[in-house]
Amino acid sequence: MEKKTIESMVGVLDARMNRQLKQYMDICARCAICKDACHQYVATGDMKYLPARRAELLRQIYRKYFTKAGQFMPALYEAREPDENLIDELYESTYACTGCRRCTYFCPFSIDTGWITAVSKGVLIAAGRGNEMLGQLADAALFKADNMDMFDSIIVDGFKDVERELREETGRDVAIPVDVAGADILYVALAGSHSIKPAAVIFDAAGASWTLSKFEAANYGFFFGDPAKAKLIADRFMNEAKRLGVKEVVITECGHAYRVAEMFYEAWAKEKMPFKVRHILEVIDDYIKDGRITVDPKAITQRVTYHDPCQIGRNGGIYEQPRDIVTAIAPDFVDMTPNRETQWCCGGGGGIVAMEEFNTVRLASGGKKVEQIRATGATILACPCENCRLQIEELDKVHDLGLRIVPVMELVAEALVPKK
Amino acid sequence: MDWFSYLTSGIGVYVALVVFTGGMAWRVWQWSRTPRSPVRLALYPKPKTGSARFGKLLVDTFVAPQSFRIAPAVMIAAMLFHLAALAAFFGHLRLVHEFDPLVGWLGEGGMNTFAAWSGGAAGIIMMAAILYWLGRRTFGAFKNLSVPEDYLLLVLLLGIVVMGNHLRFVGGLHADTYRAWFQSLLALNPSFPADMAGRGEIWALDWHMLFVDAFLIYFPFSKLTHAIGAFATNLVRSGE
Ligand code: SF4
Ligand code: SF4
Repeated sequence: MEKKTIESMVGVLDARMNRQLKQYMDICARCAICKDACHQYVATGDMKYLPARRAELLRQIYRKYFTKAGQFMPALYEAREPDENLIDELYESTYACTGCRRCTYFCPFSIDTGWITAVSKGVLIAAGRGNEMLGQLADAALFKADNMDMFDSIIVDGFKDVERELREETGRDVAIPVDVAGADILYVALAGSHSIKPAAVIFDAAGASWTLSKFEAANYGFFFGDPAKAKLIADRFMNEAKRLGVKEVVITECGHAYRVAEMFYEAWAKEKMPFKVRHILEVIDDYIKDGRITVDPKAITQRVTYHDPCQIGRNGGIYEQPRDIVTAIAPDFVDMTPNRETQWCCGGGGGIVAMEEFNTVRLASGGKKVEQIRATGATILACPCENCRLQIEELDKVHDLGLRIVPVMELVAEALVPKK
Repeated sequence: MDWFSYLTSGIGVYVALVVFTGGMAWRVWQWSRTPRSPVRLALYPKPKTGSARFGKLLVDTFVAPQSFRIAPAVMIAAMLFHLAALAAFFGHLRLVHEFDPLVGWLGEGGMNTFAAWSGGAAGIIMMAAILYWLGRRTFGAFKNLSVPEDYLLLVLLLGIVVMGNHLRFVGGLHADTYRAWFQSLLALNPSFPADMAGRGEIWALDWHMLFVDAFLIYFPFSKLTHAIGAFATNLVRSGE
């Protein structure tokens, strides 16, 4: 491997070094307690998916370039200069990681392998081995932001079409407002009307003052492993929110987008935002509890279960609001076991659904989720994350689960009792 | 003291303590001068109040209940090992000063019997835990995760415990004799007391101390810095 490439990999590791990462690198006991926490290792028994092994690959570089002990006695720590073999294994184990942090939860030292792999992605990018598909998707999002003159009218026309469809479907005068200065809420949806229509119906029923973002919430810069790109992608709707002067940015049912906006963005931007960030289910839960919308408590007659997406559950702290919403409209609710902070990752996070090369491990790693869903006997799965839904839809086909997999807000829209 | 005794049970002890203390201070200083992650790496749920958060940090670090749930055997071994090591540490404080109230209560003979049983039990528990870990590392499905550092630490620990057990189970000397040697260390004039002269316990003590010295010297450069680091990393569950 060329000296210049190694230098730039080490430079990235240096730039991303912080106290937590240093401690993760220094203190892992290699006890392998985390092995049974990871859905990918449990499904495959393959060492490269063992959480501590994923971290160990980065640790070999860290030991070599960042510790005197590793330089003095490299063999003792297996400290090494990166070579093609190391990079190959690092690529496989890093981009496969869904960043679910279930291993972190079970580790006695809370070592955050999801964060470590996020840094490894940066090192891989420096080695010219960033995942191409994720990189292209990130660049496409930035291209759109840079060329809004070209896209603006297409986007607004698209929203008008969705509005027309919605009016036909509901028979009500529901609006999809765009570019409304002074609105209370900037709602950031995903590409596709499925994340716009139910929210529009609910906002309309609640009499909310809202406006729809012209940018989608998904952030492939984050999955790719480039925080600078991830920030630029999030900048698009954050700047829009500032320009419109909204009181809050509400993120649609998308796990990583919520975590980026709520947990990461202010640190990346190095400024306090003049608005709150909330998840759409926090907002809907308030609407129901405050009586701003009325829902039929028996609207959904089939058995419903709920999947905690890792990025809003374990990593975002939203456990109860979605359950409160579902139990308010579906009398036959059965939770999965385990649930909340010990919920199994479905296997579809971290951008893995967009990377075909990981299809085999991705589908195998959904085995635990399939077992969990089957055990509930539910026919409807409420799931507030696009990546989780894509993964579970595929698992549903492969394992013939006969499930209806829906965003929580879609169920709420179905259960809405129209105001008299 | 011959040169080997002087190296292991004399001057070596000072070197080990200086390297251990300085090394740990240097490690903590290194961590503290590295800025914290600017982004929130939170893990939920978190307790709401400050005192509940502090309590959670202690429970997470000293007990790690979630790790017990997923890997009971490893955690039972780890917990027994740490408790036995703590008990052994307290037992060794007899070398600094005799536990007079306990001697007053149990009598000198009773105290020695109590020390023999408790110290012996701690030594056996530690040895069993170390052998379990060695076996798990060497024959477990994930042995490829282990690096030479892991074995070095286990071998050093095994050396300490085996020689300690030898002194406890085979040797015929009690704490008062070793205390005289330890006091000479504290007085910066290491020497063995007259009643140790020519006894077989000397080589066992020297080897025990050789492993102890090496262990303490290596400690700050090893993964064992989790002894302090875990308090910081576990904050992700309980901090802001
Ligand atoms: S990450 Fe945690 S659980 Fe996994 S080997 Fe390291 S210390 Fe053990
Ligand atoms: S974050 Fe999730 S996918 Fe990644 S190593 Fe940990 S458990 Fe496995």
